[in-house]
Amino acid sequence: MENVQLSVSDFVALVNQTLEYAYPSVAVIGEVAEFRVSQGKWVSFKLKDAEAVIDCFMGIYQLRVPIENGMKIMVVAAPKLSPKWGKFSLNVRAVKPVGEGSIKKGFELLKAKLEAEGLFAPERKRPLPRVPSRVAVISSTESAGYADFCKIINERWGGMTVEVAHTQVQGDPAADQIIRAIKYFNNQETLPEVLVIVRGGGSAEDLMTFNDELLAREIAGSRIPTLVGVGHEVDHTLADMIADRRAATPTNAAEILVPDRREIIRAAHQQATSLGHQLIQAIDQYSERTKDQLDSAFRRIGEKLDATFEHLGVLRVAIAQLNPDNVLKRGYALMRGELRTGSDIEIETYQSYITAEVKNVRSK
Amino acid sequence: MSEANKTVQEKLTELSELVAWFQSPAFKLEDAVTKFKQSEALAEEIEKDLTKLKNDIKVVKKKFDSEE
Repeated sequence: MENVQLSVSDFVALVNQTLEYAYPSVAVIGEVAEFRVSQGKWVSFKLKDAEAVIDCFMGIYQLRVPIENGMKIMVVAAPKLSPKWGKFSLNVRAVKPVGEGSIKKGFELLKAKLEAEGLFAPERKRPLPRVPSRVAVISSTESAGYADFCKIINERWGGMTVEVAHTQVQGDPAADQIIRAIKYFNNQETLPEVLVIVRGGGSAEDLMTFNDELLAREIAGSRIPTLVGVGHEVDHTLADMIADRRAATPTNAAEILVPDRREIIRAAHQQATSLGHQLIQAIDQYSERTKDQLDSAFRRIGEKLDATFEHLGVLRVAIAQLNPDNVLKRGYALMRGELRTGSDIEIETYQSYITAEVKNVRSK
Repeated sequence: MSEANKTVQEKLTELSELVAWFQSPAFKLEDAVTKFKQSEALAEEIEKDLTKLKNDIKVVKKKFDSEE
């Protein structure tokens, strides 16, 4: 190359060609320093270790986990020599926190960002249907978490149409695959009633997929109510925090999704039995009421009879007093016949009938 | 809709309505025996339906590893 004379531009282009051929994509781990965002579009930072430092550039849309100075990250990038500035740098395509501390930090930063936007607000949460008939599931169909989920929904309920989108649930392509699956279900003409995303337990790094900003936003924007069950009880990911309903595990997601048919059957029989008890109670009440009414009617009849007998007694006394025999008994006499001098009249006393002649009649 | 064509959910709703009727002012002893028999039959049907129902789980053919 010594004998070949190149312009600066040609030399830089040649170096870039060589770099592109030799290192189309490199993964470099280091600590972030001098992190900056320009015009809300461009991200620049230095990646360093104890003995070296390199400049990094990327578009903000490529930064799916927030980073800050001091965080240990891995960048997937292409090395490049800038023709304009003559500086060697990395054009970053993807960033991933490395190590427990950085993963946690990235999680906290993104959580705070999404929280500030109100994406975790309880009022955003939509209720899930009590008994869905059409369900969409996103998971790896080869995972134990998916198998647990299917086992439990089949045990608990039936009659549902369950459409499953098979995606990776860990590793670099997983978040994008899940995002595509969410879009696929959201673009269907007739939407499923619930969108379930499940994945079994794993290390913090395995679950990092579910702390991806774009995935979290896709879940938040889903037209279908979402249920996310990722990891174990203790694991919290941004995906499940942003979902309409969080499940602690895939098994718990199945339990939330559908009621237990055994409980429903028991409850249905209990309801029917309770109606039987209510019916017997109602019959008892009716009998009691009828008996009371009959008692009351008999009482009233008795009272009426008593009053009538009493009245009859009074009438009897009155009638007895008016009986002519009783008057005759007191010494009076009853006279029959024409009151004319010389005529015969009959006189009735208590004990005898007397015939007498009228001797004289004069006015009183 | 005939009894046989009703979904489990519809039958559950009907059972709840029967329970509500027993506690409502519309309750009449004359009709209660029939309604009680209906509720028993519904509970039986719900059990039968729920026991035999299976889920239809199908994996969609579309691949999600790249934009199409």
